[in-house]
Amino acid sequence: MKRISVLLAGLMISAGALAASADSVTVQNPYVRLAPPNAPATAAFMVLKNDGDKDVKVMKADNPTSKLTELHTHINDNGVMKMRPVAAIEIKAKGEAKLQPGGLHVMLINLKAPMKEGDVVPITLTFDDGSSKVVDAKVMKPVAAGMPAMEHKH
Amino acid sequence: MSEKILLGIVAFLTTLLIGLGFFWNPELPERVLPQAGMAAGGEFTLESAKGPVSLKDYRGKLVLVYFGYTYCPDICPTSLAGTAAGLNLLDPDELAQVAVIFVSVDPERDTPARLKEYVEFFHPSMVGVTGTPENLAEIAKRYGAFYARQPVEAAGGYVVDHSSETYVVGREGQMLSKIAHAAPPDEVAAEIRRRLK
Ligand SMILES: [Cu+2]
Repeated sequence: MKRISVLLAGLMISAGALAASADSVTVQNPYVRLAPPNAPATAAFMVLKNDGDKDVKVMKADNPTSKLTELHTHINDNGVMKMRPVAAIEIKAKGEAKLQPGGLHVMLINLKAPMKEGDVVPITLTFDDGSSKVVDAKVMKPVAAGMPAMEHKH
Repeated sequence: MSEKILLGIVAFLTTLLIGLGFFWNPELPERVLPQAGMAAGGEFTLESAKGPVSLKDYRGKLVLVYFGYTYCPDICPTSLAGTAAGLNLLDPDELAQVAVIFVSVDPERDTPARLKEYVEFFHPSMVGVTGTPENLAEIAKRYGAFYARQPVEAAGGYVVDHSSETYVVGREGQMLSKIAHAAPPDEVAAEIRRRLK
C-alpha cells in the first residue's frame, strides 16, 4: 500500500511536471545585443513558443550579468518610441511571443562588466505557475533591422 | 439656374471637405511629428570629445542627424546599426561625402568622451555630440525631434522617450528628408545616394 502511494505520488509529480508552463514553452533564436561601449544597459530577444493548451505568462527574468533584469516593451507613438516595463509577457496557447528589436524585450540594466561578442548569458524565465526555464542567449553585435542576428558569419 | 445651384452645392461641399481636412485631427494631442513637410532644421553647435562641432563644419557634405542617448538599449542601436550598414554599402568616394552626427539628448549622463566611444562602435565616421539642456531643446524643436524624460522606475532611474528618425541635411545645411527608424541598410544607402546627386 505504501509502495503504491509512493508510486502514485511519483506519477502525480511527473504529471504536474508535464503540465508546467516551462515545459510547454520552447525558445528559439535567443540572443543578447552586445552593448556598445559605455552603454549601461542592453536587451535580450527571442521567440517564445507555447505548444501547450493553455496560455502562459512570463512573469520575470533574471540573469547574472546585470544588476537588474526587467520585462519591457516599446510603444511607437507616432514615431516617438516609448520604452515601458510590462508586468508579464503572455504567450497564447499554441501561439508565440516575439521578443524583437523595437518591441518586447528582456532588459539587462546596469551591466556588471563589459560583455563581448560570443559570450553566453543564461537568462532564467519564470512563468506564472512558478516553473522556470534557463535560456542560453549568445551575445551578438547589433545589426540593422531585418538582418537576422543569428545568421552573422565570421 | 439649376447649374448655378449645383455649382453652389459643389463649392459648399468642397469648402466643407477642406475645412474638415484642416480641423479634423484624430491624433492624440501629443502628436509631434508632422507627417507632411519637413521641419526647418538649420545651424547648431554642440560639444564633441574633440571640441565644438557645428553643422556648418560639414558644408559640402550630406549630414545625417540622429537624436538619441547611450542609455537607449534598443532603438538607438537599431537605428545606428542600420545607418552604419547603409554607410558600408557606399563606395569610398560616396562615403567621403557623408557625415553622421549623433546628438545625445541626455547630457546629464552622456559626456562627449562617452559618446565618442559609443558612436565609433557603430561606425568610425560617426560623431557624437551633446550640449546644454536648453541648447538641445532648441535644436530638437527646430529639427522636429521629440524627446522627454520619463520617470519610469526602470532602466537606471529614467528612460527618455524619443523620436527615432534620422534627418538628412543637404550640402548647404538645408533639411532634405527623414529616414524612418529601422530602415534597412539598402534603403539608407539609396536615400543617401538620391540626396548626394
Ligand atoms: Cu527596455
